[in-house]
Amino acid sequence: MTQVSDRELTAVTSNPLAMDGIEFIEYSTSKPQALGQVLEMMGFRPIARHRSREVLLYRQGDMNVIVNAHAGGQPRGVQPAETPVIAAIALRVRDAATAYRYAIDRGAWIVPFQVEVMELNIPAIHSVGASRVYFVDRYREFSIYDVDFTLNPGVDPHPPALTGLHWFGIVQYIGSDRMAEWIEFYTELFGFSVLADEQRYGILPKGRILESPCHSFHLQLIDPKPGIFDPEPVELLQRVGLGTPDVLKTVAALRQRGVAFVESKGVHSEARGALTQSYLGGVMFELVHDERA
Amino acid sequence: MNARDSGTDAVVNAPLSNILDFGMDTISLAGTLPAKLAAVRDAGFSQIMLSARDVVGHLDGLESAAHAVRASGLRVTGFQVLRDFEGLSGHLHEYKVDVAKSMLEMCAAVGAKVLLVCSSTSTHATDDPDAMARDLRKLAMLALPLGIKVAYEGLSWGRTINEFTTAWDIVQRAGAPNLGIGIDSFHIFAAKTPLDEIDTLDPEKIFLVQLADFMWQEVRTVEERIATARHFRVFPGEGVHSSALADLVVRLDRIGYRGDYSFEVFNDDYQQMPLPTVATRARRSAIWLGEDVLRRAVPLPNRIRLRRADA
Repeated sequence: MTQVSDRELTAVTSNPLAMDGIEFIEYSTSKPQALGQVLEMMGFRPIARHRSREVLLYRQGDMNVIVNAHAGGQPRGVQPAETPVIAAIALRVRDAATAYRYAIDRGAWIVPFQVEVMELNIPAIHSVGASRVYFVDRYREFSIYDVDFTLNPGVDPHPPALTGLHWFGIVQYIGSDRMAEWIEFYTELFGFSVLADEQRYGILPKGRILESPCHSFHLQLIDPKPGIFDPEPVELLQRVGLGTPDVLKTVAALRQRGVAFVESKGVHSEARGALTQSYLGGVMFELVHDERA
Repeated sequence: MNARDSGTDAVVNAPLSNILDFGMDTISLAGTLPAKLAAVRDAGFSQIMLSARDVVGHLDGLESAAHAVRASGLRVTGFQVLRDFEGLSGHLHEYKVDVAKSMLEMCAAVGAKVLLVCSSTSTHATDDPDAMARDLRKLAMLALPLGIKVAYEGLSWGRTINEFTTAWDIVQRAGAPNLGIGIDSFHIFAAKTPLDEIDTLDPEKIFLVQLADFMWQEVRTVEERIATARHFRVFPGEGVHSSALADLVVRLDRIGYRGDYSFEVFNDDYQQMPLPTVATRARRSAIWLGEDVLRRAVPLPNRIRLRRADA
């Protein structure tokens, strides 16, 4: 084997799905307007509505957030409740069908399709708790929203990000003694890699951090606190992390918009990061210092 | 009240003897699932190994079966059994993946954390260890989001894998964190696997130990093994392999195994005896193993296990 093909082979195996970042994060809630207000406080703008379901698209910069109030009625799916939960991560991949087949061949559970006439069929697999991972390959020349969503009248479809905000990552809570297993899940199915323990970001440096194979976002896996007797710790996607080149500037800008931050002895806004207060019973955002914008 | 709260009742109510590490298996008992749960609990056990048949055959359906299990306060040792899974290809593999998914969904519904998988007996399966490892790795991935571990057991009449030593080799090849081995004393004694081999195992990767004695010294043919395994097993201490069983349990304890022991006793006679009578025999066996063989101290009431600080 020549040196060139060795190099190509490594590239293929280290990013097996040709992943290219996050297309959207989906929240499920029965109170979409309330969550919409929180998202607008965070700098997101309402962009479009789904043609056939109670599903809304919010956006700032390169970040898309889907707010889903549609009760899917599927087993093992998130049912909209008052407290919003992160129901899905959509990954940009080179070819959604190939990525889907790759994951299924390695033991992923498929989510059965439920599409209406002329709607896009976005392949998905089950992930932690009731959440899902979608594979999206239409994000360059045209987008999935062009097909299924109707633009809000008079809206700028591409509002700039507030102070350079961008996806930094997602925090997942895991059960006791489950670290090796969840690391396996993300490395085997998606090609994530585990960062060295000393490589840390933000102000809540717990658990282990995984980096996406496209090097554009992170997953932070957090175990239950030791010594606390909790027979069945819940596993879920707990919060999203937003990267910003200047945390304190972003904190100031968000405060002006009405966002409150946790300011305690242990956790407070500083140059490395900040944590918003919890809204609607459980929605919070972490800010992380990250130069990319 | 959640399952774990009520589970402590069973422990507290148990007479003072250390049988917490031992459980019965529903296959030893006749009757309905609720009757089996009650008999096992009344005999002072805190855990039970369930079979898919218990759940599927429950009159009021899966949800009701799962509720009955939770309401019993018994912890579920594991769920059995997925057969002939590994080494198949094409449509046979796809078919078995569907069967596995169904088993895993039932396993999750009844709160079982371990799915038992027996090595393949199928003549359609390959004997390529890497292919078997790949399939088990996929099975472990299917189990992973559900929080289920997969225990792979070498059946003594398995076509390629028929001892715990070779099962361990496949588990190591697969290298999945939630895939380990299941050990069944019957198959060790039937295949005459040297007990010294226990020392080669990683205790953290033994996900289940099943114990049974039997009445014959030797089971030479495959047919004899199958017949004995399915009809003539007895509880530990009741057959002619008691000292070997004690040796096995002591060796497992010595390498650091701290998981569950389940009595995998298929016995046609026990199937036509009153449930409390059979459960009492199981209890006697558990006391022998817990107090005489492992010399465990009697537990304090209301014992709870705190999570390790280094977890």
